[in-house]
Amino acid sequence: MRHYEIVFLVHPDQSSQVPAMIDRYRATIEGASGAIHRLEDWGRRHLAYPIKKLQKAHYVLMNIECDQATLAELESSFRFNDAVLRSMTLVRKTAMTEASVIATETAEQATTYAEKPAAAKEEAAAKETAPATEEAPAKEEVVSEVSDAKSDS
Amino acid sequence: MARQMRRKKQFAFGTPGEANAIDYKNIEMLNEFVTETGKIVPSRITGTSAKHQRQLTTAIKRARYIALVPFCDAHE
Repeated sequence: MRHYEIVFLVHPDQSSQVPAMIDRYRATIEGASGAIHRLEDWGRRHLAYPIKKLQKAHYVLMNIECDQATLAELESSFRFNDAVLRSMTLVRKTAMTEASVIATETAEQATTYAEKPAAAKEEAAAKETAPATEEAPAKEEVVSEVSDAKSDS
Repeated sequence: MARQMRRKKQFAFGTPGEANAIDYKNIEMLNEFVTETGKIVPSRITGTSAKHQRQLTTAIKRARYIALVPFCDAHE
């Protein structure tokens, strides 16, 4: 049993299949008494250069412990899966468990993006409650004007 | 002349597992040792030790392979 670090790139159109793929790989690894020490989904990232004329790809990082037969099985499944654009396997001395730099970055971005729309929504909601009554008739007026213009022509 | 162009301050590399460790996933750190065109800067310019330079080159090449870092500036 050795420690491996695997990164694989999935076609952005097949992004929705990623959880199913991870489940399948988990089943093959754990079925052979291996272990997944770290599993990171970096999501869709912009590629530094196009691969197969694609600008983006879905990245997944796995730190696993398994035997050679399981690794061979995994690698062949990457090769024969059309959704996997590229994969890289490295041998590691130890099991890496702490979050990688990219994972923390993506998590931060996700939280900031999540916070901003939430705050914006609250503001919008606060605004809506007050001038909603005023805005509604204004819209109606515009509609009536348009209909008037049509009737004129 | 060449001596004057040496960067005096050495980059403080971390041990594996730390934030500034030499790793292919640490893109920001790798970009310090790559030119604008994507070439690896020689240690003679950056003042990196030979051991770290070897680790850096493999890290940069790995990052290139999985498209985290470009090979050159003429892609597309």
